[in-house]
Amino acid sequence: MARIVYAGEGCTGCKICSVACAYAHDRAFSVKAGRIWVVKEEPLTDVPVTCYQCVKPPCKDVCPVGAISRVDDLVLIDENTCIGCGACVEACPFGAVTLHPTRGVAIKCDLCGGKEPQCVKVCPAKVLKLQVPAVVAQERRPRK
Amino acid sequence: MGQVLRVDLTKGKPKIEQLPHKLVLNYVGGTGFAARILFDELRPGMDAFSPENRLIFATGPLTGTLWPTAGRLAAYAKSPLTGIWGEAHCGGFFGPELKFAGYDMLILQGRAKQPVYLWIDDGTVEILPARDLWGRNTAETTDMIRERHGDKEIEVGCIGQAGERLVRFACIMNNFQDTAGRVGLGAVMGSKNLKAVAVRGSQAVTVADDDRFMELVDDAHERVLKQPQAQQMTKYGTPLLVAYKSKIGELPTRNHQTGVFANSDKLNADTIRAKYFTKTRSCFACRIMCKKVNRIPEGKYKGTISGGPEYESIYSLGTNCGVDDFGAVLRANQLCNLYGQDSISAGCIIAWLMECYERGLVTRKQCDGLDLKWGNHEAMIALIEKIAKREGIGDLLAEGSYLAAKRLGKGGEYVMHVKKMEISGQDGRTHRSVALTHAISVRGADHLRSLVTVDQLGYEDTAAKRYGKDKLPEVCDPYTEKYKAMVVRDAEDTFAIRDSLIVCWYSCGWPPIFWMPDFATVAAAATGVEEFGKLEHMYHIAQRICNLRRAFNVREGLDKRHDNIPKRFTHEPMPEGPGKGQVANLEQMLREYYELRGWDRKGIPTKRTLTELGLSDVAEELKRLGRM
Repeated sequence: MARIVYAGEGCTGCKICSVACAYAHDRAFSVKAGRIWVVKEEPLTDVPVTCYQCVKPPCKDVCPVGAISRVDDLVLIDENTCIGCGACVEACPFGAVTLHPTRGVAIKCDLCGGKEPQCVKVCPAKVLKLQVPAVVAQERRPRK
Repeated sequence: MGQVLRVDLTKGKPKIEQLPHKLVLNYVGGTGFAARILFDELRPGMDAFSPENRLIFATGPLTGTLWPTAGRLAAYAKSPLTGIWGEAHCGGFFGPELKFAGYDMLILQGRAKQPVYLWIDDGTVEILPARDLWGRNTAETTDMIRERHGDKEIEVGCIGQAGERLVRFACIMNNFQDTAGRVGLGAVMGSKNLKAVAVRGSQAVTVADDDRFMELVDDAHERVLKQPQAQQMTKYGTPLLVAYKSKIGELPTRNHQTGVFANSDKLNADTIRAKYFTKTRSCFACRIMCKKVNRIPEGKYKGTISGGPEYESIYSLGTNCGVDDFGAVLRANQLCNLYGQDSISAGCIIAWLMECYERGLVTRKQCDGLDLKWGNHEAMIALIEKIAKREGIGDLLAEGSYLAAKRLGKGGEYVMHVKKMEISGQDGRTHRSVALTHAISVRGADHLRSLVTVDQLGYEDTAAKRYGKDKLPEVCDPYTEKYKAMVVRDAEDTFAIRDSLIVCWYSCGWPPIFWMPDFATVAAAATGVEEFGKLEHMYHIAQRICNLRRAFNVREGLDKRHDNIPKRFTHEPMPEGPGKGQVANLEQMLREYYELRGWDRKGIPTKRTLTELGLSDVAEELKRLGRM
């Protein structure tokens, strides 16, 4: 059950993750059509945010048409079923779901459908990883 | 895509125009577009503060894509500082956002009756009142606009108090620390009563040949990643240059009197990294990540936290004013950003006044009681505030050093300028190609339009690849004029395309990664215009752009007399350090450069040159005005 994980520091706020993500899904360059975003605050905050692939996804619970499912540890949205109501956007505690800026349907991180996630690949600061929670926890444990 | 948003602030009317395909074919984007538009639409001799002046915000074919360093915005207008071609480029996120909103270019003209700001939300364009924003600094303005529209990701390009008060070197700020800095375009905005342009874009940018483009993008990122100097840039940013320029004796000091600064180690990248560095930030989708945020932990400026300073500000507000206190430089740079004034011009003007003061040309009373000794950073910071507020002597300095000296009737010989713009942090004595670059630059005393680094930084492999092994060692020798006209012209051509695509200087000039062949290839893939891929064709377009910009200045009355550098560089040998005894011989390089450009001895493009470049209408106009 790997997901995209931010190392916790080192993001420079360039938003290349958003652009590469949008391109991987739409073959067009955009920040807002990405499924990962950078929260920026002055003067020192840059934090990338994307889906944690929750085990009990609030987005799935509120979807009125059953467009969201959890398959093989991945929370997926069926764009054909989605009606674009945005209930999932409001339900996600992390702001990791949004409506596509032009198509209007809900979009979120799908880990690039099994290929190497593009955000991880392009991140210039190398602060994004595809990791399973066990390893995330391991890395958080002090080694001294 | 392919839309131009034109807003007449007098009439209060936005209008969407289609980008003419011919303009793309002949001028590529950014600087190319602006050259054609400003030449066509501006009346020669017009005051830069006239409502008729156009302020153009332009993007290029690569803006908003994944090409490394392509997240830029370029702004253009007739400059109120120089009275000639005005151009300033800016990192950050504004350029891509404008393109995501659906516009390749924004053209502003006219003058609003009351302070306003422009709100662009994709297809919705509104001119909104800015009375409450007027008088605010650039950070407050950005925050207030974002809050008003309830969206923290809106991109804001705005002016501070300096732009409102028509300080002739006021800048346009974006995203707190990114600035279209030089030539006073912020004052043009102020003259139009335009406090800010706020943009939100939700559309996507596409390219013509996806697969080919992404192949080139991957390769480009790989090349940036492998470049050792790019890695150094990532770690230290532009302050890297302080130690290097100190080593070669070209760290301009005390108004360019010398290239040796005794305490340069207090301002160099190692010191900054160890004592002040707090965070690395980055412009849109950039792999170089050269932006540094620094914090002052102790002393008079304790608690100051700000992006920057870049090398140029360390020079202008540091060494050039004799200041070795990094806290003071960071604070001064931060104030310049908040008030919205160009830190290079600001520092250089203060350095000029300091030299006048030290030489007894101005009294302490004339300087509002400030003791303008070299290195008095408190006085320097007081002057920055006075300039932005046009208080006391600040009112004089706000005119730029050239006009200030004229008005003062003194100190003209110590004004370090070309075409009325304060000189950037290089010295033509110890770096001959930059003497020519400063002299011929289309916006005056500027390094960014044609700075050659192969000689200054000794990139022999790069020079051999670009110009042939037979040009070594002279081409890399900073102390000889030989081959310098040729390399300056090549750099100017390449950068004209760089500024049209638009990508950052950091990736082509320094570190030397991309050059014209790379730009030609990627331009073709991005636009689908196959001819762009032919190197010769791209050079042809570059020459068209360079000649048209030159023609803009010629039409304003400029010629060889203005392609000059301060006497200090040609008549006062470098007094000390590794470059001791060096002076610049400009004449020889100028002659060669004009010849290579196809210009006459007065530096005027010939009819033949202009006609060959498809600019016969420009030739006719110059002839009609008696300029040819």
